[in-house]
Amino acid sequence: MDNSSQQRLYWTLCCIAALGLIFISFTPLVIPAGVHRPAIWGVPYTLWAGIAVSVLLVLLTFIGTRIHPGRKNPEEE
Amino acid sequence: MIKTLIIIGIIYIGLLVTLSLASRQRHKSTASYLLAGSKLGSVIGLFTFAATLFSTFTLIGMPDFFRTHGVGSWIFLAVSDAAMVFGIIWLGHYLRKKARNKDFKGLSGLIRDCYQHNFAGYVTFLGAFIFLIPYVSIQIRGIAIFLHATFPEALPTWGWALAMVVVMLIYSETGGLKAIIYNDVLQGILLLVVIWIASFVCISYFGDIQSMFKKVEQTNEALLSVPGPKNLFTNQFLIASMLAIVMIPFTQPQVVTRIIIMKSQSALFRMAIGVGCFAIVIILPTLFLGMYGAVKYPDDSTAVFINKVLIRDQSDSIAAFIIIGLIAAAISTADSQIFALGAELRSLLKGDDKKVLPVARIAIVFFAVISLIFSLFSSDQLVLLARTSFAGTALMGPMIFTGIFSQRKAGLTLPVATLLAMALFVGSLLSIFPGSFWGIRLDISLFVILALIAIISNYVGKKRLSANDLKEVTNT
Repeated sequence: MDNSSQQRLYWTLCCIAALGLIFISFTPLVIPAGVHRPAIWGVPYTLWAGIAVSVLLVLLTFIGTRIHPGRKNPEEE
Repeated sequence: MIKTLIIIGIIYIGLLVTLSLASRQRHKSTASYLLAGSKLGSVIGLFTFAATLFSTFTLIGMPDFFRTHGVGSWIFLAVSDAAMVFGIIWLGHYLRKKARNKDFKGLSGLIRDCYQHNFAGYVTFLGAFIFLIPYVSIQIRGIAIFLHATFPEALPTWGWALAMVVVMLIYSETGGLKAIIYNDVLQGILLLVVIWIASFVCISYFGDIQSMFKKVEQTNEALLSVPGPKNLFTNQFLIASMLAIVMIPFTQPQVVTRIIIMKSQSALFRMAIGVGCFAIVIILPTLFLGMYGAVKYPDDSTAVFINKVLIRDQSDSIAAFIIIGLIAAAISTADSQIFALGAELRSLLKGDDKKVLPVARIAIVFFAVISLIFSLFSSDQLVLLARTSFAGTALMGPMIFTGIFSQRKAGLTLPVATLLAMALFVGSLLSIFPGSFWGIRLDISLFVILALIAIISNYVGKKRLSANDLKEVTNT
């Protein structure tokens, strides 16, 4: 596998991870109805799970910027 | 407090004037006046993007939203914003390439060129106008109500609203988008600082975060989970909200412009990461303000609660900073949107800058006056009105994406369908049509139908683009 197809594969995996994370945000895994335990340091479940999802999405955004197929665009740089 | 407020106010106005004069240009052109020279670095890009996005809606609306509907508000806004920044790096690249190829002047002009028909441009402009004016109005109204509640003797609500619009018009007409962007940096920093100071005061009332949530549990346990005490955060509401927010960078002209005028792809990428971090850092303190309000002021109206939490319970000097921060937040979002509407009109007009630019500048004043009038009559439900604005412009998403990505000559089916969908959506807001069909929210249904039309029109029965056009699209 050459460098560019390897990069495309990583980018595809990154997109799948982001979409997966967004999907689980709407499932009981993150937003169980009427449930606020287990809490972490008193922070209710949906809140800390939601913060974790947000941080992970921003982290995926950061990773995405390193492997995006259009990252090295000679026309723009 | 009045003395401190006057001193801080004079410093703030002085900085606004200085930045506006510094960015003033003798010879105005579309590129310099409406697009700020299109060479935005990542730090300035981050602050202008953030100040445009996070506004009165965040500073006043979100604490009230957390207080009323609980921790599900985080999923509603912060998770949606994080998804939005991933969307920026995913698709922003293609939007920028298309914009460069089509000599971008505004989103409406770009879509007109993509569809090769004026009608598509008019639909885009109409969508921006219908859904941005109420959004601008709630920024102005939110702060005007707050200022009137804080200083009932000074000015009536309309007087505060008028004063803000005048300040906003003076500096944006003087320095153009560059002045707005520089002022956004100032206002973004101010917004971040004041909201954290206010939230520290709220946390210290409880001692620590753990005690805060314990108190909230004793007051109203339903705030600690979804769907919240008023059953707002259903799956459908959260999904529809995320769709609307994720579409913002591609459907709201003031945000589209900021993506396109970044100086390079890497500056855009750094800006996107920065906005993601900024979203988390700015929404977190609104949670603390909201939880504090849920315990101390659960039954007060929005204006009274905000007045107590941001002014009465703070020290005089902090309260003075907060007032200026709130005004700055409202102005930074409202001016960007009004200015963007002027730029949108410019992008639809043909002719040289000498003739067309003055028309756009007069239009900016016209849009500001309409927003001012609308602000006197709009509702106080800031977050829900803002969400309606996001959902309305999101309906243009399928049409815009088809224009940008389609390799076939796009017909007018999608612009016509988008116009109908927007009319139906507005009709549902005015209670002419129901807000849901067969248990599915109207905004989700319309978006899905438009997306299906976009997919079908991309694959069925349309003539391929000419070799030249195809080459251009393939390059993107």
